[in-house]
Amino acid sequence: MGVNAIINVNDVNFYYGNFKALTDIKMDFKKNLVTALIGPSGCGKSTLLRLLNRMNDLIDGTKVEGEILFAGQNIYAPDVDPVEIRKKIGMVFQKPNPFPKTIYNNISYGPKLMWNLSKSDIDDLVEQSLKQAVLWDEVKDILNKSAMNLSGGQQQRLCIARALAMKPDVLLMDEPTSALDPISTAKIEELIDDLKKNYTIIIVTHNMQQAARISDETAFFYIGKLIEYNKTGKIFTKPDVQHTEDYITGRFG
Amino acid sequence: MNRRQKEKLIKAIFFVFALISVVILGLIVFSLFREGLPLFKKVNIYDFIFGLEWYPTADPPLFGIFTLIVASIIVTIFATLIAVPLGVLSAVYISEIAPQVIKEILKSSIELLAGLPSVVLGFFGMVVVAPWMQETFDLPTGLNIVNASVILAIMAIPTISSIAEDALYAVSREFKEASYALGATKFETITRVILPSALSGILTAVILGMSRAIGETMVVLMVAGGAAALPESIFDSVRPMPASIAAEMGEAPYRSAHYQALFATGIVLFFMTMAFNLIADYISNKFRQVGSGTL
Ligand SMILES: Nc1ncnc2c1ncn2[C@@H]1O[C@H](COP(=O)(O)OP(=O)(O)OP(=O)(O)O)[C@@H](O)[C@H]1O
Ligand SMILES: [Mg+2]
Repeated sequence: MGVNAIINVNDVNFYYGNFKALTDIKMDFKKNLVTALIGPSGCGKSTLLRLLNRMNDLIDGTKVEGEILFAGQNIYAPDVDPVEIRKKIGMVFQKPNPFPKTIYNNISYGPKLMWNLSKSDIDDLVEQSLKQAVLWDEVKDILNKSAMNLSGGQQQRLCIARALAMKPDVLLMDEPTSALDPISTAKIEELIDDLKKNYTIIIVTHNMQQAARISDETAFFYIGKLIEYNKTGKIFTKPDVQHTEDYITGRFG
Repeated sequence: MNRRQKEKLIKAIFFVFALISVVILGLIVFSLFREGLPLFKKVNIYDFIFGLEWYPTADPPLFGIFTLIVASIIVTIFATLIAVPLGVLSAVYISEIAPQVIKEILKSSIELLAGLPSVVLGFFGMVVVAPWMQETFDLPTGLNIVNASVILAIMAIPTISSIAEDALYAVSREFKEASYALGATKFETITRVILPSALSGILTAVILGMSRAIGETMVVLMVAGGAAALPESIFDSVRPMPASIAAEMGEAPYRSAHYQALFATGIVLFFMTMAFNLIADYISNKFRQVGSGTL
């Protein structure tokens, strides 16, 4: 176990029914770094990401082998409540998915479930989270309007703010900018860069430039296997495996 | 015939079929009004609706249907109070909680319930519920408001449950995942995200269930008891509008005042069910879910 690793994935196999989606995954995610997961479509990036906060529990007929340690504790141990794990490991999805509620209630949803907060505490938390997600200035006058009226990029930042309001240790992001225009994407990349001071971020992306720009470490997957995992600079300049180089340079998809 | 002509022809055929049902509806409404409205030459409309006495065969006859209207409203309200929690909760259980096997069993039993002819349910109310109720609560008759409401509720449950279930299924998976990802439990997700998102569909289900109950004839004819008086307790017999129409139509001489009064009762019933359907329409339009990302 690395000294500053926050998550250790130890020999994990994962099955959807009989289909083996991940094979012998062994990797550590380091604290306060941005780790990018890359690889062709269907190679299991989302599956791995969703394993880290037990979102795959929601799908019937799945099976996990091996262990995943979060802060030293196996999150797949029988006595662990997935709900507790999800409070500490937040998630942002590919498609912005704010609740059909007001902006304010989107942010306060999670904290209200978790803590007994006074109205003013919640107000503060909403403001703080929206500021962290660089959305505050755009929405501070319309907190009581439906989140559904925001643009896609604003909705995605709202979803990030909503995850941050839970004060998680880790933020999982599954292609958070794939549905957004370049300007919103740039905003979110900036945001990620800012957030890594306080959070560990694991991000799935199909955009090689994005992985190179924002991540410290990069892992390349192919058909359910971890092919290469190293510092982003190394992966994008002199990868050890030919396969990785072919993928990054676009020689195969 | 080229393709465009073919498409035109197909369109025309569909249009005609669609038109047929509209025309039939129009004809029914027309004859309802033609047979019913002449009554108001003899009885004024206020006395008809608010009159407390329904003695259509007395001399002179009295045509006041207020007790009938009250009866219809009361049994509908009680049936709704029983059917809504059962229907909505079973829909929640089926769509969100039940394991696959139980889900299938429940769904088919509810479908079966929907398929039961109303006369069978009425019979059940008459020979099982009524004697039991009469004995247990020491009543003069078991054919009363409570009995009718329970049987009507049984009829409305499948309507409410299946429409509410569709509304719950339609709640996008993204909302559920977002909620779980924030550390919400299943119960919290159901009560705070899924039910509010499905609210308009559930309200529609409730109102359609009510309109099913208010128009139901056979059940109220068989188990409501038939007394055209204002009820004083929930164990009193009542005579809802459909029961009155069904029971008396056979003996009312063609185009007599009595006959016209029954049609006029039908008009009142028609307006009530129409109101229910309009409200259901309005709700489902007004609260229609705004889609997720406007990307
Ligand atoms: N719910 C599911 N049930 C069954 N198989 C699934 C399910 N979700 C994913 N899979 C399969 O698991 C494999 C990995 O899927 P996953 O979604 O993790 O890929 P991915 O790397 O995220 O791809 P993409 O880049 O397209 O998002 C694929 O072969 C996919 O078909
Ligand atoms: Mg994916």
